[in-house]
Amino acid sequence: MKFEIPIGPQHPALKEPISLRMTVEGEVIRDVDIRLGYNHRGLEKLAEEKTWIQNIYLTERICGICSHSHTSCFVQGVEMLMELAPPRRGLYIRYLVSELERVHSHLLWLGVAGHEAGFDSFFMYTWRDREVVMDLLEMISGNRVHYSMNAIGGVRRDLDDGQRQKILDGVAVLRKRSEYYYHIGANEPTFVARLAGVGRLTKEQAVALCAVGPTARASGVARDVRKDDPYAVYDEIDFNLITETSCDVLGRTVVRIKELMESYKIIEFIVRNLPAGEIALRAPRRAKPNEAFSRYEAPRGENVHYIKSNGSDKPERLKVRAPTLANYPATVEMLRNGFIADIPLIFAAIDPCICCAERAVELVDARSGEERTVRMSDLRRLAAARRRDVGLKGKAEWPF
Amino acid sequence: MSDEETIERLKQDLGDKALELTHPSKRRIFLKVAPADLVPVAALLRDKYDMAYLATVSGVDKGTTFEAVYHFASPAVNLNLRVEVPREAPRLPSICAVIPGAILYERELQDMFGLTIEGIPDPRPLVLPDGWPAGQHPLRKDWKYERPPEVIPGGKS
Repeated sequence: MKFEIPIGPQHPALKEPISLRMTVEGEVIRDVDIRLGYNHRGLEKLAEEKTWIQNIYLTERICGICSHSHTSCFVQGVEMLMELAPPRRGLYIRYLVSELERVHSHLLWLGVAGHEAGFDSFFMYTWRDREVVMDLLEMISGNRVHYSMNAIGGVRRDLDDGQRQKILDGVAVLRKRSEYYYHIGANEPTFVARLAGVGRLTKEQAVALCAVGPTARASGVARDVRKDDPYAVYDEIDFNLITETSCDVLGRTVVRIKELMESYKIIEFIVRNLPAGEIALRAPRRAKPNEAFSRYEAPRGENVHYIKSNGSDKPERLKVRAPTLANYPATVEMLRNGFIADIPLIFAAIDPCICCAERAVELVDARSGEERTVRMSDLRRLAAARRRDVGLKGKAEWPF
Repeated sequence: MSDEETIERLKQDLGDKALELTHPSKRRIFLKVAPADLVPVAALLRDKYDMAYLATVSGVDKGTTFEAVYHFASPAVNLNLRVEVPREAPRLPSICAVIPGAILYERELQDMFGLTIEGIPDPRPLVLPDGWPAGQHPLRKDWKYERPPEVIPGGKS
């Protein structure tokens, strides 16, 4: 007997409204169908009617968690179009904010993963520590979410020595806390056992389905735009590309914790080696007919903007591909042959969300058409019950 | 492999299939091929140039023609493969057999530009809603949004 379970369009583990219809046989998911477009805002069409400057603030509003990623990707592309070379101090500050944003996004994700795995103290710890980096971002930019730091040809705000010292102090605290998370993992076998083997995505699948970011790197695909296509300052900075070969949610967790450490390294390097000089140059209002393909490593993976200009002060075409879209085909494979109880965890593993409200999932009986409403807490209870029955996974080891 | 070596190899492998080959900046190559050569060239890039990763497909409305740009990337270089189809017969072959991850981008291209992707495994709309009128493709330059007149239920007609 097969059932079909609709998840979404509204769901707490998803940033964007999306509908996933799961065909299940007993507890096992056999097929997944993705439907998008519930939050399609026509942004690419709108961008054709706005000037280059206005579009910075439009692209900032694509996403609330990686707002700086989209503006940086956009201004990078426009700088390529206009053939501008921004001053190095401006670039250093821009990518300092990028790395701080990566830290806040990964800490947020760790909390969500802990929550979905039923380890709520981990969630509270990471989110408390996330406030440190949120305060740093607020100090630098004046805002906690939409930083509005980027301008075409540089950034809008400078850093002074007091702020630099505060960033270093904050990063020292965060580094200590992140090391503590390593040890929590080592001392908490139930957490490791819950994550190991869930949401399998083999390396071949990750390559074929063009997965990006930590999802691809946890499957052993060494794909990071900061290394492959070192834009702006990344060829001057020493950091490691993190990959894992376990191909499951545990691997995605490990990749993100290790990337936090690399981000701290990059932040400290940037703050200590901040060049003197201007932070921005004056950009022209128009761009000559040209095209540019801008790539940027956002916290969730490669972010891509294709920009075409026609000589006016507005773009002819702006194409945006956010990393989450690239990971949807891979998500289908991760969910296939998994369990209903693992849905929240696998969802959370590709795409973090700050929305922790309790939402309902409806189970539809395929034969009678009868609907049964299951709360997220019940799904989590199912997940906890399943964890007790798994003997093999209890032997999984924390890889640190 | 440096950009110049990649370009040299592409010139040798493709011959006169490469209609246009430009190198505007570091690690960016733009290549134009005919629509009929799209699938073999994508397979060649995947197998011989380590470009199994397709970042996205961008559609561009150029008035009398539509252009689709397939953004491939290898760890060394980013290659943008361009094909152009006439507005009267906007048809492209699907590359899903070569790169399965292209499915969402091809579906988006069908929705937003009204291109017909031949042989696409799943032709349903991706971003447009179920009740969307046929033949309306929002990213075409001649498409304008008109807000439907507001009707208040039970109000004055």
